[in-house]
Amino acid sequence: MTDFELLDAGHGALEGLHSATSKLVPAPVENFYKNYYVRVFAQAILTIWAVLTVTFFLVRQMPGNPIDVLIEQILTQEGISYQEAYDRVAASFNFDPDATMFDQYVDYVGDLLRLDLGTSITSPGTKILDEIARFLPWTIFAVGSGFLISFVLGIVLGMMMAYYRDSVLDHTLSLVSSFFTGVPNYIWGLLIIIGPGISWKWFDVGAARGTYDPGLTPGLNAAFIGSAIEHALLPIITYVLATLGSWMLSMKSSTTGVLNDDYVNVAEARGLKDRRIITAYVGRNAMLPLFAQLSISIGFVLGSGVVIEEIFVYWGFGHYLFQAITVRDYTSVQGAVLILSSTFVFSNLFADLTYGLLDPRVRISGEK
Amino acid sequence: MSEQRREAVLRVEDLSIVYRTKRGDVKATSQVSFDLHPGEALALIGESGSGKTTISLALIRKLPKNAVITSGHIRYQREDSVQDVLKLSNRQLREFRWKDCAMVFQGAQNAFNPVLKVRRQFEDTAQSHGWTDKAAIRERALKLLELVRLDPERVYDAYPHELSGGMKQRTLLALGVLLNPQIVILDEPTTALDILTQRAIIDVLNDMQRQLRFSIIFISHDLSLAAEMADTVATVYAGEIVEIGPVNDIFYRSLHPYTYGLLTSVPTLEHLQDHLQSIPGSPPNLINPPAGCKFHPRCGFATDACKKEDPPLEHDIGTHLAACWHKDRLLESRKEPV
Repeated sequence: MTDFELLDAGHGALEGLHSATSKLVPAPVENFYKNYYVRVFAQAILTIWAVLTVTFFLVRQMPGNPIDVLIEQILTQEGISYQEAYDRVAASFNFDPDATMFDQYVDYVGDLLRLDLGTSITSPGTKILDEIARFLPWTIFAVGSGFLISFVLGIVLGMMMAYYRDSVLDHTLSLVSSFFTGVPNYIWGLLIIIGPGISWKWFDVGAARGTYDPGLTPGLNAAFIGSAIEHALLPIITYVLATLGSWMLSMKSSTTGVLNDDYVNVAEARGLKDRRIITAYVGRNAMLPLFAQLSISIGFVLGSGVVIEEIFVYWGFGHYLFQAITVRDYTSVQGAVLILSSTFVFSNLFADLTYGLLDPRVRISGEK
Repeated sequence: MSEQRREAVLRVEDLSIVYRTKRGDVKATSQVSFDLHPGEALALIGESGSGKTTISLALIRKLPKNAVITSGHIRYQREDSVQDVLKLSNRQLREFRWKDCAMVFQGAQNAFNPVLKVRRQFEDTAQSHGWTDKAAIRERALKLLELVRLDPERVYDAYPHELSGGMKQRTLLALGVLLNPQIVILDEPTTALDILTQRAIIDVLNDMQRQLRFSIIFISHDLSLAAEMADTVATVYAGEIVEIGPVNDIFYRSLHPYTYGLLTSVPTLEHLQDHLQSIPGSPPNLINPPAGCKFHPRCGFATDACKKEDPPLEHDIGTHLAACWHKDRLLESRKEPV
């Protein structure tokens, strides 16, 4: 054996030792977790699991019990024995009311993994997934439009305030937007009903209820779409009024900051056209902080829908959740909260993943 | 002299600018006049706050909102017509900026829009001035990026944050001459860069000026940079040009005590450090500037005449002008050139 071969052998042994100590976790697993997308997705799933677990146990701590209520109902209506009533109720649910809470939990999570949200307790046989599919689109429509209008309007007005700061326009809009932000959304809802609705009779409060006029067939016909927009109008206005102010103020302060940035000054010295400076140089940079805010507030607005939809008797997702809580329909509440928290978590995740498209500076390493 | 007057690409006449502030009007620039000839490099030197940047911002009408131009003309000669920059319409002004007169600002670190690629910012600049052919823009940009000694392909497709400070400064220089302007204003082009990068920038500037033949106005408090780059040097004090002349005259035969003070406050290879002198006092309050010569409170040569009457900017010999009552005494007092 020559000296060189000895050296090589020594190196080999050292390398073996090194890899043995540093790789306690198998390399493929470690590398897989190091992938940014895998990591944030795993975190999102973990968050949702935590929320659904807390929800599962909390709803069962609420006073009142839907099963006893149902057994009682059957007993008084049909005059059968308690055991018979109990058997019937137990058969109509897909979980055993006598099972321990832990066993129920295991069942619930097991079903969830098969994407089965279970059936409603109070109206046996109704699939929760179907119920959510029935109610959620209305809320997405109302909240989504309100959100979009408010965001776009807020950005435009906020930029105007920054461009004309210290003018009458700026001072007026500042006052208005502070006022809009200060009044909570449910107060806006009540004000709309009391003011234009009841006192001034601009619209018929009773007829505005629901999601569309009775007698119309849902589908792509003008009458139905028109009616759907009409019914969603009041919630949409409420969402806009309640969120517009904060968008305006955020956009104003963010734009004011950007206007003082060197690159805007240089862009003007470069003789760029005003429209190009306003959109690509000022607007795009000023919107960056608002984009992060956007995903967070989607969750808040969806959650606030519970109260707003109740005020306007708009039969959307919030209305569904509210009803489920009122009758202690555990499984429905769980399903609704699961959807709510998933929306929140995934819209955040979406914002995280797409932020890099807007701001190249935060593009994650390795993505070239 | 009349010959030179006619061919000047830029003639600044009697330019006065005040900043309106709550405490009163700050007289940032008073009756400044100078000519800039094709291919000439003019250095404006002076302390911070002397009004150098105000003068240069006025040239492209990019002054802060509270600034008011109280008098003067800025005559710009393009081909056969002469225009007053101060009278351009908004549209003409937008076209004048960068196409005729580009300004490379102090602190290039934030001069680029962080969310757009360098390529997009070159295209924006060219397209705003009537270029439509992206391939032609690219070709010219790559040529210029090569001229400033960058890796053209890589820099052109990079985001600003992927470039170092010196690279950004050089990219901005390349962008500055993209539209082949007649005048390039450089505001502290090398400040905040390390000494090697400064050297590289100076070489690049000299190269570019030789090849592209634009006129340069550069603003600096770095006298060695002025000595190296400039054909003409103007000393700015308290918003006035107190001395202007060919670079050698200014450095070896300065006629204004302030210029002389600036020169002796810089260490040289030949003199020991204890030879250094600072100018006593600080620049005057420009809301209520001193009567007479504004430099008299800090000047070793000051007499009663200086307190009463502001000396005019006068000829000494040729194109060397200085505003001082005591040029002769200053020359006598100097035993050897700095």
